[in-house]
Amino acid sequence: MIRALADDAVSGAATGAATGAATDLEIAALLWWAFDGLLALGLLGLAYQVVAGRQLFRSVVLFIIYGLLMAVAWARLAAPDLALAEAAIGAGLTGALLLSAYRNLIGTDGEEGPHAPITPPAGAPPMTVPRWAALFAAALAGLLVAGIGWVAVGLQPPEQTAGRLALEQLAESGVENPVTAVLLNFRSIDTIGEVVVLFVAFLAARVVAQELDHAGPGDWLRASQREPLLVGPLIAFIAPMAVLVTGYLLWAGGHQPGGAFQAGAVLAALAVLLRLTGRLRPRLEPTLLERSVLVGGVVLFSAIGLAGAGLAGAVLEYPPGWDYRLILLIETVLTLSIALPLALLFSGSGGLRQEVR
Amino acid sequence: METIDLIDLVSIGLLLLGALFFLTGTVGLLRFNNCFARLHALTKADNVGLGCIALGLMLQAESGWAVAKIALIWALAQLAATVSAHLIARFSLRLGGGVRRMPP
Repeated sequence: MIRALADDAVSGAATGAATGAATDLEIAALLWWAFDGLLALGLLGLAYQVVAGRQLFRSVVLFIIYGLLMAVAWARLAAPDLALAEAAIGAGLTGALLLSAYRNLIGTDGEEGPHAPITPPAGAPPMTVPRWAALFAAALAGLLVAGIGWVAVGLQPPEQTAGRLALEQLAESGVENPVTAVLLNFRSIDTIGEVVVLFVAFLAARVVAQELDHAGPGDWLRASQREPLLVGPLIAFIAPMAVLVTGYLLWAGGHQPGGAFQAGAVLAALAVLLRLTGRLRPRLEPTLLERSVLVGGVVLFSAIGLAGAGLAGAVLEYPPGWDYRLILLIETVLTLSIALPLALLFSGSGGLRQEVR
Repeated sequence: METIDLIDLVSIGLLLLGALFFLTGTVGLLRFNNCFARLHALTKADNVGLGCIALGLMLQAESGWAVAKIALIWALAQLAATVSAHLIARFSLRLGGGVRRMPP
């Protein structure tokens, strides 16, 4: 959605500038400056409020808004892939995780209302930093940022960047979307690393989480209360739509912005919705199928990468002519392997089962 | 002096109207004192404001597919806004102790 909006804005500005005179161009440039300035200031202000705010709930909500503005910023930088991923994972799923964690926090503290400031437990020493130490740290960090900025501004741009190399080799990658080409062909080792990180994060959460069935359906699933009237129709409409969008994003990754991460995030968001409304219930241990989906992406990706050592001459190299098919296969499995850990992280359980009514 | 297209004029008018509704809704969201009044203000911005902006952008779209896409975005946002407003109002009603339906 954000991409569509940004595209409309950009094309609108382009047509407006093309028909007008030079002054119109200047006005358009000025407007873009104003927009970018507002965006940057808004991001900085929101970031400060998220960190400095004393109400936890407020910080969480502001963090979600921060993610949305960040997505707009990526769209402005003409990086729709990142904008999609940021909106789906950074704002959407992380927001859901934070809200669910917040609910657990106030659940264990008992009396605290949603708007109570965070207070240390009685008897504990106050956790405040002396003012001079905070100022000192802020000054040091500011100096560091200013120094790095100074050096970076003074650098000569390199003649041959990795991005240009990738664009030149695009025809050999098997896909038309340069981002997918980099993620799944030129630098596929990084992508394997990312999927491993996601899997390890899920394992770590499994180890630390004590009670596994916290986040869950609202009160209305108690026998005394009925489900709100509109939830059923919403799910009936959203669920097929989300599956469709998942498939579209996965397929689109080959030639335009999209890919396994965005598609997986949309699928995981659907699982979050179903989990919240009680259509999916937590289960303590994953089934064999869930276990194989969890590791499937890493296993398949590594196996194809290793097979490349024999068939194509190098590890993580695809045999000639097979690029597109293999990339599509890997992306499909990766979508599931990304969606499931995200959904299980939100659910706070080892597995999921369908609710029998 | 070049003439301005009628379509452009209508489009600009709709966009401005939508922006006005969003502004009013935001002011209401910030200034009203209880949850239901805030929801009332917010739904105006969501329904009419987004509708106006979507219509204004549809007039500028280059193809039928773009028009359909904008319509779909509008419909999805509408659906999500309706259901979440309903859920918030329901939660808020219950929080205030009013579980039963209000008499008409």
